[in-house]
Amino acid sequence: MKDSTEQVYKKRILGVLIYIQQNLDRQMSLEELSKKAHFSPYHFHRIFRAVVNEPLKEHIRRLRLERAATNLRHTDRPVIDIAFEAGYQTHEAFTRAFKTAMDCSPSEFRSNNDVRTQNHRSGIHYNRRPTIKDLNLIFGDKKMEMKIEDMEPARVASVRHVGPYNEVGAAWEKLCTFLGKEGNLGPNTRFIGICYDDPEVTPPEKIRYDASVTVDDDVTGEDDVVIQTIGGGQYAITSHFGPYDQLGKTYAELFRRLMKDNREPRPEPCLEFYLNDPESTEPEDLVTDICVPLKPTR
Amino acid sequence: MSSADKIDLFRLHKDQYAASKKPQLIEADRAKYLTIDGRGAPGSQTFSAKVGALYSVAYTIKMTRKFSGGRDYTICKLEAQYWFDNESQSFADIPPEQWNWKMMIRTPDFVEDDELRSAVEKLLEKGKEPEVQNVRFEYLSEGQCVQMLHLGPYDSEHETVFQMQAFAQQQGLQFYGRHHEIYLSDPRRVPPERLKTILRHPVKAAAH
Repeated sequence: MKDSTEQVYKKRILGVLIYIQQNLDRQMSLEELSKKAHFSPYHFHRIFRAVVNEPLKEHIRRLRLERAATNLRHTDRPVIDIAFEAGYQTHEAFTRAFKTAMDCSPSEFRSNNDVRTQNHRSGIHYNRRPTIKDLNLIFGDKKMEMKIEDMEPARVASVRHVGPYNEVGAAWEKLCTFLGKEGNLGPNTRFIGICYDDPEVTPPEKIRYDASVTVDDDVTGEDDVVIQTIGGGQYAITSHFGPYDQLGKTYAELFRRLMKDNREPRPEPCLEFYLNDPESTEPEDLVTDICVPLKPTR
Repeated sequence: MSSADKIDLFRLHKDQYAASKKPQLIEADRAKYLTIDGRGAPGSQTFSAKVGALYSVAYTIKMTRKFSGGRDYTICKLEAQYWFDNESQSFADIPPEQWNWKMMIRTPDFVEDDELRSAVEKLLEKGKEPEVQNVRFEYLSEGQCVQMLHLGPYDSEHETVFQMQAFAQQQGLQFYGRHHEIYLSDPRRVPPERLKTILRHPVKAAAH
């Protein structure tokens, strides 16, 4: 019998986990790691988070800190050397990160044998080689409402934002002003974010995001506003309830569910449909539909 | 324009939008609204067309103003007044098809009549919903009101209204004028049991 998507993914992610441990000394790009795992870079970070239950960037950072902790405990090497090895340029930056992760400073950790590193929920730790059992995680322990739908292609006007997600507001303002002043925002207007990158992987200043609004055929672009067609094909859709900075958790849940259902994402961007006006809605009352493009069933 | 200059009337008048789970007295000042009147069941086709028209006008005014560098503001949540042909009747007495209503979006005083006119013209020119012609500016001065948060489906509002009425009575007050509600949740997305709606009713000294 053919392995399920879940098993295939776990095997491939396990390969990446081992590769990461062996290469902690140097920078690893998303492309390099996704290639290693035979995943498209589009969705690799989300699959990683879904399987490992920890964001990729966070995982690498933690393993580096854990290795630093081991070195502090068992060697006499200067703290600054250990900090460099963990990817920190200054003593201060290292101390700050270490304190956040371990609840004590590097020197306290070195001198006090009672302090222990806390076990992380991912179950994977630096000084132990990960096994596939570590990845036997929380598949389907939570009921999540998901539907699979064919999405009609939609004509949208977009303004590209490059930079941190919490600064997308400027692109939205430009787009909504441009459309709204001509009477092109109405009750049937849909507000859609096209997400090309993930904040857990791509450096904040390089994140690409298109603020997009559905428009009639007579609307044309101008300056920074471009017209494009999005959607088309099958999508898995689930609703995220709450603040936008919590979207990552719902993405992870959705990807776990897809694995369980033997469905694979298509290498195209995910779409976010924003169903409220964030200006007049409390963050906990926000509703966002997350749409992941799917490959046809095998 | 910095966001600090942006006006959010709900935040500015927090006391008027108090959403307590117990009835309380509030003072509703004179307030400007974009409004559209109608009759019939909420959710009907006419209803949706009218609410849609109200939103189209509200967006168009705001964005035109913003584009020309005018003072910016947040588009407030939808509010509504309901009343019946015969004043002594209540929701329970008559079918929704006979309800009269006014859908309203609170708007800053500085937004001018010209802005409304040109927004409506623009929308008609573009061949949008003709109901936009029926959107108007109106002021409400409700004065002293009993107000309370209703949690759950709209069709269980009478339970909350009952509590509000009992509270008014205890205070030596009685309801008069129109039932007013403020929609904090979007009924298209939020399951009925989680809907949040502020209910308001003007009160005056009870007749002896």
